[in-house]
Amino acid sequence: MSVHSLTAKKIISRVRQVFPDAPESYIMSLLNDALVEAGLYSTKGMSAKVSVVADQMFYDLSDSAKDSSNNVLELNKIHRVDFMDDDGDYIKIPRLLDGETLMFDITSESVIEQPD
Amino acid sequence: MASSISYPEDKVAWFIKDSSLGLVSNYSSTGTTRTSRKAWQAVDHAVTDGLLLHYWAEPKKITSIGDTPDIDNTFHLALVDYVKMCLYMDRAGTTQGESSGIAFQLSEMHKRKFQESVRRFGNRRREKTGGVRAILPYNFQ
Repeated sequence: MSVHSLTAKKIISRVRQVFPDAPESYIMSLLNDALVEAGLYSTKGMSAKVSVVADQMFYDLSDSAKDSSNNVLELNKIHRVDFMDDDGDYIKIPRLLDGETLMFDITSESVIEQPD
Repeated sequence: MASSISYPEDKVAWFIKDSSLGLVSNYSSTGTTRTSRKAWQAVDHAVTDGLLLHYWAEPKKITSIGDTPDIDNTFHLALVDYVKMCLYMDRAGTTQGESSGIAFQLSEMHKRKFQESVRRFGNRRREKTGGVRAILPYNFQ
């Protein structure tokens, strides 16, 4: 037995109890706005694998970033990172909170925004 | 390609730089630990699936009327509140007098309900593990 959930159609019918003349396309647009807003908070947890490239310091996290299976990450906020050890196990690695490394590698990094 | 780092927790660290994940390591493939002032550099060897990221993701867009929102069903009613919040605000802006005030108040009510379920509680309300939380103090001995 599946859990109860609402489709976009059901949400529109609930809204139209109060706003019978609201256009369907406008409600759909507001629904997508709501999903973007809800996505800012801890609502959808995910995990993804990314391959490490030799001598590459920065890895893309933008809206178009992809994992090692070429799926879009759709990432908003990272809360943990694991690194594979020499046994093939994933081990949690620490986060540098200020991100202020002494040496900044820019020469090999394609994901850092640079002026054209 | 496999990793050659035995203790990543000591030799690798991550940080966020704008829209990028920074990854630094003081491990050298020659087998030595770098100790100079330029010790922390990029990982010097490739590792297939070397990183496992745990993150909060953005829900997928709704494209058709039959779609179910890409978010846990406990948040579906909050989506209704968000839509009503916007529509009542539209009404408040397009009407005058008492009905405008009422529409504004109803918009605020739905805004509070949306924020309470999504912003204030987020994952805590639907956390699958549940139960009492305990804090284990650090042992200073």
